Amino acid sequence: MKNPYTLHTLDNGLRIVIEKMPDVRSAAAGFMVDTGARDDSPEAAGVSHFLEHMMFKGTSKRTWREITVDFDRMGSSYNAYTSEDRTMYYGWVRTADIGKQMELLADMMRSTLPVEEFDMEKNVVLEEIAMSKDNLEHVMFDFLQEKVFEGHPLAWPILGYEETVGNMTRDQMWAYFQRRYAPGNVLLLVAGNVDPKAIIGMAEELCGSWQPYADAHQRTIPTVRTGVASLQVDRFKQQVVAITYPAVNAVDKRAETASAAATILGGENSRFFWEIVQEGIAPRAGAFHLDYADSGLMILYGTCLPENTEALVDALRREAQKICSDKIAPHELDRVKNKRRTGLAIEAEAPYHRLTQLMDDMQFRGGPRTVDQMLAEVDAIGVDDIHTYFQDFPINTEGHLTSVGPRLWPEGSTTGT
Amino acid sequence: MTGFTHDVLPCGIEYGIVPLPQRHVVSFQIRVLAGTAVEPSDKAGLARLLEETLDKGTQQRTGRELSDAFDAIGAAHSSGAGRETTTLSCSVLPEHFEKAVALNAELLRTTTLPQDALTVNIELAKQELDALQDDPQGLVDKYISLQAYGPKLGHHSLGELETLDCMTRDDLLAHWQNRFHAGNMIVSVSGPLDATRVADTFEKHFSGFGDPAKCGRSPVPVEFTPGTTHYEKELEQEQIGICWPGVEATHDDFEVQQVILSVLSGGMGARLFTEVREKQGLVYWVGAWQENPRGAGMLFLGASTTPEKADRTYTTLLREVDRLAEDITQDELDRAVTGIVAHRETRGDTTRSRGSELANDLFFFGRPVPAEEKLAKVRAVTIDDVVRYLTEHPRDRLCVVTLGPRPLDEAATAAQGASGTAR
Repeated sequence: MKNPYTLHTLDNGLRIVIEKMPDVRSAAAGFMVDTGARDDSPEAAGVSHFLEHMMFKGTSKRTWREITVDFDRMGSSYNAYTSEDRTMYYGWVRTADIGKQMELLADMMRSTLPVEEFDMEKNVVLEEIAMSKDNLEHVMFDFLQEKVFEGHPLAWPILGYEETVGNMTRDQMWAYFQRRYAPGNVLLLVAGNVDPKAIIGMAEELCGSWQPYADAHQRTIPTVRTGVASLQVDRFKQQVVAITYPAVNAVDKRAETASAAATILGGENSRFFWEIVQEGIAPRAGAFHLDYADSGLMILYGTCLPENTEALVDALRREAQKICSDKIAPHELDRVKNKRRTGLAIEAEAPYHRLTQLMDDMQFRGGPRTVDQMLAEVDAIGVDDIHTYFQDFPINTEGHLTSVGPRLWPEGSTTGT
Repeated sequence: MTGFTHDVLPCGIEYGIVPLPQRHVVSFQIRVLAGTAVEPSDKAGLARLLEETLDKGTQQRTGRELSDAFDAIGAAHSSGAGRETTTLSCSVLPEHFEKAVALNAELLRTTTLPQDALTVNIELAKQELDALQDDPQGLVDKYISLQAYGPKLGHHSLGELETLDCMTRDDLLAHWQNRFHAGNMIVSVSGPLDATRVADTFEKHFSGFGDPAKCGRSPVPVEFTPGTTHYEKELEQEQIGICWPGVEATHDDFEVQQVILSVLSGGMGARLFTEVREKQGLVYWVGAWQENPRGAGMLFLGASTTPEKADRTYTTLLREVDRLAEDITQDELDRAVTGIVAHRETRGDTTRSRGSELANDLFFFGRPVPAEEKLAKVRAVTIDDVVRYLTEHPRDRLCVVTLGPRPLDEAATAAQGASGTAR
């Protein structure tokens, strides 16, 4: 199959990746900035996310109103999001509108962060923080990161704290923006039925004048902590628990193996589904591999009635023990491979979904992988690889146990704030 | 040129096919006209329990073996019990199409509804009811649906503790025997498949499955109860849900209604986002949408905000609906129309979406409706249509549900024509 990717770097350091998708009628474009919550400073926790909101608020060419109206005029499906290590702005449009979409996104990327909009948008972010506190799983995962990565920037919540967001100034945000949104930190992604040459030409025109800014990453590798932490929140009805272990990072060649292992343990039709959910212990139980460029976690979790907490944790540990000691059956791995094949075929129909894969590949693997390459990597995983993986990254130890809900469980655990 | 195939198989299944020759995946949807609305009143939760238990054992395989068989062909499959239908959806590579249909037929036709699986599913449903208490938006949806549609059509798919407690395998068996048969099924298929191959496959696997005659297809009437109800709950934010009757999917004004919702909530430049969030910073989340059971339409507004901002949020939401007829602009209308058309041509263009859209067409219209026919009606909507719609379908009967630390100010709700009660 012909390689559908085109890579290019502008003189100012901005990288471009384009995927040609001849069979679709739409196209998606996105700017990924290599910055996220882990790049916030402690006194400005939440600045990456708040900045993402402010990027919609005005440029030298457009007011906030003109930005949103221009998106809507082309019927774009657009949005933005912030994670621990990236911020993404995207729009998905009919192929004929891809030029307009790129121009609008590029204009936004040189935001003026209008002073007059700063306090109003702060209210919106504070509402988002309030909303997150009513969501049990959101509370859980913020608490988990806080404890597992204690003392490291990955411990801070992406949204920040009411205090840090409340006290944040526009000057602080401006300084961060200038430093982190330099072209060398930005990746332009385009997927769809587009002409790569034309896209590169447009990118030169739209982004070529952006001034480079030397800003070396100051990310430090986190330590994954062990221990037990519990947060009692009376108003929740359910208890959610997670057991967390160190895992391979996203750059490691074994990342696909870790992901397959997590699926066997806690995906659809998994061991957890049959041994925990279908045993009536908990309505939800799962496992996933969370990875960053320099670290990774294997997270086993479940949500249950408070009185079932012990049974749930016992069951999670029992299954973890089993997968470490006994080799998996070949058909368990075949299932993962078969579903991946269908998943890739489905994903290949939608340009926006391709952007996500491209982002991962560019950020963690140095370049995009074709569908055939991805399938080959998954197909190459053997039963012994899963076994070896769990010998290298065992999940049959105590790990870090986190619990949130109406019970302060286990007794004697450290409590959260 | 539509390219659709639409027919009824000898076994009784009504089916539609949208051929997509360039695609590399096939999607199909099986809708059985057996949703929560036809559950006996003392058996709320029955349709969902049946749907959860159907695949936990067949005459040929255990539940686990059946799941493994789906995974062996890499099927992306799911199922769910809605108000009017129980739906099974499946996407596979084209070479696995026949096997995927065979597996769906196996669980629909030869389920053994194992007692042990049912016992677990009842227990899990009770736990899900508890989990719903930790899902503020899900709770508002449960409460407002009951008020909007009445107990028959509007009750929650999980049922209640007391109805789950008295559910037996015989109840599931009776529901399955009465409702699950080929004459009660609508099937849509999208992808690179020949129509004859599709028809032959479904006929082969569903021939002789119950009564081929259409039956039980009448929609359940809506019982709308206007009024304001507050549900006390310790939360950071107050949840606000508002709804009122609109027009059904087959109504001549359906596209006008669609455009109005897009003007209100189609993008970040739409009215609600602009007026409630961007200009006043009242919320993070705000939206307007519709639901369309057959024979009815319901318009919804929703938002969540900290309690001290709840009254202002509520009045702003309704003000935006009310002033539409006075000041909607051509530019707004054009954006709303473009949004609907472009979303259909981007997000809605995947194989799965095309199959799902066809299933909707068969369900509501009894025929495939070409996208161009629908989009032409959307493009034809004028400001005069919007004004006329708002006059003919005023939001004069409101159903309002709030969930959180405090009720809305009575003066605010009274001014909007909704009287209140608290729970």
